[in-house]
Amino acid sequence: MAAIRKWWRSIAPRTPSDVEEEFRSTLDAYQDDLIRRGLPEDEAGRRARIELGRSAAQNENYRNAIGLRPFDELGGDIRYSVRGLLKNPGFSVVAILSLALGIGATTAVFSVVYAILIDPFPYANSDRMAHMWVIPSKGDRQFFGITGSQWQQLRKSPVVEDAFIMDNWNLTVTGSDLPEDVHGAYLSSNGFNFLGVPPVLGRGLQPSDAIDGHDPESVAVLGYTFWQRHFHADPSVVGKTIQLVRNNFTIVGVAAPSFTWGDADVYLPLKITGDQIKGFFPEIRLKPGVTHTQADAALQPLIQQFARETPRHFPADTQIKLHVADPDEHFVKDLGPTLYLLFGAVLLLLLIGCGNVSILLLARATSRQHEFAVRSAIGASRRRIIRQLLTEALVLSLTGAGVGLVLAYRTVSVIVANLPQFSFPREAAIQINVPVLLFSIAVAVGTGILFGLSPAWQLSRPEVSQVMQASSRKTIGSVRGRRTHNGLIVGQIALSVLMLAGASAAIEGFLRVAHTRLGYDPHNVMSVGIPIHDGTYKTWPERAAYLERLHSKVAEVPGVTVAAVSSNATPPANGFNTKFEILGKPTAQDQTFRFNLVSHEYFPALRIPLVQGRMWDSAEEHRAAALVVVNQTLARRYFPNGDAVGHSIKVPELVPQPPYLITAPGSDGWMLIVGVIADKLDDGLSRPILPEAFVPFTVAMAMGTQILVRSQGQPLVLLHSVSAAVNSIDRDQQVSNNVRDLEHWISELPEYARGHLVSWLFGAFAALALALAAVGIFSVVSYTVVQRTNEFGIRIALGAKRRHVLWIVCRNIGITVSSGLLAGLLIFVTLQRILTHWIQSSSSSPFILVPVAALFILCAVSACIIPALRAVSIDPMRAVRYE
Amino acid sequence: LAKPVELPQGTLEVLILKAVSLGPLHGYGILLRIQQISGERLEILQGSFYTAIYRLERQCWIKGEWGESENNRRARFYSLTAAGRRQLKAETDKWIDMAAVVAGILSKKADEI
Repeated sequence: MAAIRKWWRSIAPRTPSDVEEEFRSTLDAYQDDLIRRGLPEDEAGRRARIELGRSAAQNENYRNAIGLRPFDELGGDIRYSVRGLLKNPGFSVVAILSLALGIGATTAVFSVVYAILIDPFPYANSDRMAHMWVIPSKGDRQFFGITGSQWQQLRKSPVVEDAFIMDNWNLTVTGSDLPEDVHGAYLSSNGFNFLGVPPVLGRGLQPSDAIDGHDPESVAVLGYTFWQRHFHADPSVVGKTIQLVRNNFTIVGVAAPSFTWGDADVYLPLKITGDQIKGFFPEIRLKPGVTHTQADAALQPLIQQFARETPRHFPADTQIKLHVADPDEHFVKDLGPTLYLLFGAVLLLLLIGCGNVSILLLARATSRQHEFAVRSAIGASRRRIIRQLLTEALVLSLTGAGVGLVLAYRTVSVIVANLPQFSFPREAAIQINVPVLLFSIAVAVGTGILFGLSPAWQLSRPEVSQVMQASSRKTIGSVRGRRTHNGLIVGQIALSVLMLAGASAAIEGFLRVAHTRLGYDPHNVMSVGIPIHDGTYKTWPERAAYLERLHSKVAEVPGVTVAAVSSNATPPANGFNTKFEILGKPTAQDQTFRFNLVSHEYFPALRIPLVQGRMWDSAEEHRAAALVVVNQTLARRYFPNGDAVGHSIKVPELVPQPPYLITAPGSDGWMLIVGVIADKLDDGLSRPILPEAFVPFTVAMAMGTQILVRSQGQPLVLLHSVSAAVNSIDRDQQVSNNVRDLEHWISELPEYARGHLVSWLFGAFAALALALAAVGIFSVVSYTVVQRTNEFGIRIALGAKRRHVLWIVCRNIGITVSSGLLAGLLIFVTLQRILTHWIQSSSSSPFILVPVAALFILCAVSACIIPALRAVSIDPMRAVRYE
Repeated sequence: LAKPVELPQGTLEVLILKAVSLGPLHGYGILLRIQQISGERLEILQGSFYTAIYRLERQCWIKGEWGESENNRRARFYSLTAAGRRQLKAETDKWIDMAAVVAGILSKKADEI
């Protein structure tokens, strides 16, 4: 405040009262002088005041003398503009909202696009970071693992600058009554240096924490959200001890908020040994200038060598191909089209908003022609008028920009809250993107200035006196810029129709996904994840007995109606994708199915009916009998005669990797098909059902399982008692911290969540576009009506039917609206192939355009009819005199 | 009575500087002093006079201070600053130079060229 006062003193050193006091003293002195020269006192006072003027005028003189006049005029212009806006609240609100919506939506959506797709990672040189996939000769790309010694070979490759490896385990911390699930990431000791994000407290992991071949130091770095959740953001946490699965670790640091590699709660040093069993996930950084194609070529022999050394870490295929990609490639592939589509939609919205403002400003300019003619006639210079118009345009568009900024922040948080989980990099810090904000504001302000100045262009035509005499309102001839108007309206309508059509395609696509027949009943079922700790239950009898005890204990919990083991079979996308063979039949190319490990209660728990044969029983489950139940799709495709039951199949890729994957004796042999179940979804909501098979869960057990719990009511209320039941078997056993019901997992599926988000946003944007276009039509029609009120009065007075006048009003706008509508529909039909692909709606039916067109015509008619009715209902005598 | 003289643009400021250089004066006093020195031949408009005062004060060539006038009224007295003194000297030299040159040219007769 003091600084502002000081600054102001340097511009205007004297206060108004100071100037006025001096003026009064001069006035008195002059008056005395005049009295001395012989004038009577009151006459002297009068003459002094006449000659010297008012004291307020003296202040103005002072401000002019010290060069403040332009500021005073600017202040006046701003006050005048604000008054003008307040006097026409309808115009102002519509214009400001049009700009604000365009700016807000464009900025918000682009900010999300930028944060997720363009620059998601906070890591050092993240543009050179790469992820390695292998693509089998048939099928989708897959992860693979490498061992510690392979990692060292990878680091020496000439195209690789550095590489690190990671392992994930679910750990626990104790403290409350039940152990808490903690997601641990074991990083090779160069991991933190590789990623290069400084921790907020303490230090990251460092090479001395894990010397190859030795047991690593017992140190831990906490993830930021875990630090906040578990330690309540305690700043003195460094140096304290955390007990993970009853081992003590010293906390040496807390990772930065944006450091979420592997979504871990704690980061621990990875023990590197010569062990060839365990595979770890590698991440590499390429040397500068190395392209992905060059890296593919350079690393392919190395990866093939790894695949020969440790075939179990790779897909069972001799023809694997390495694919080096950006770490966020799959996010870009999944969410990219959706976000770019939304971005296109909001750009249209910005255009429509600007179109609206142009229409409104043009209309207003024409109705103010008289005002400016008068001003210029009484001596306002053209430059002075332009400056005032410029001020008005800026006040309008900057207000719009301000509101738009608020809207942008709101919209970003709405989008972030509704983005499908796991469909974007967790690191992405979604915040307002300043360049795009500035760009949208510039577009909006530019539009405001361009069309706000239109009266000035008109003034440059030498017809000021004509304009004044004609009192522009009385003739049609002076309805200026009609062509510009019509052009703007046509464009606006075409864009709104395009958006409406796009939105209805998106909504239609989403509704189809949302109403897919599931084939199972997700209601009142939750999936309880149970991770098994490293180094526990290492043999088949131990682990099978453990899982059976967990299962029966959970089934005894009061309120649980059915409990079923579903190691990898929780729908709607489930099972291992693997090859299989049929006894006595040649193996077709690409003969794969979804292989599921479940207990026999899985089918009643999900209410999936058995259509043929029988289910295995508890005794068979207990001894891991080689029995299979298949779905109808598999039965129909491979046994078209309906004789699936009785045949045998084999899963050659099912190979044990103890202790990480323990298989029952005989699981590598032929397994007998005993039953066929009804089809249910097994590959997501939008893809066709794949062949799938179910075997007793005891056939193969990995480092964790899931128990499906069906209850009478909302299942999650049972979670605590289920967790306690699990914990009563093994005091270190936690349940996963991400337990949800099956309906939730459906809505979390990318295709569902994405469709949901796109439908809502696209629908909202299209509705806004429609509203803006309707307002545009409304203002043009009412403006025409106001312009032609005199004419209509004369027509009616001379005997024209009101119907006829109504026709005159509607004819012109009718042509404009229909050409806009047609143009929009044509653009949509042309783009439909691209659009439906992007929207991921397989619908290309032109029928969705019928409701779109109908809705639009309805809006256009109502926008038109109100001012038109006003025109014909007017009393002719008043209309003729109307000014 | 002698004929009134119209001042060229920008001259008023120098005259004010000169008037103030003789001793602090309030606004109206400056006006009277200039008229008096000119032998009542200058007609100075109050409006442009104060504009000139404000501009000089803004440039820090004169500075104003409140004080008591000769008939015990509060008045704002202006005095010359150091910068003002330099400005006055520069302007005076410029004027004398210019006047001499112009007068020299104008006073030449045909046979003197």
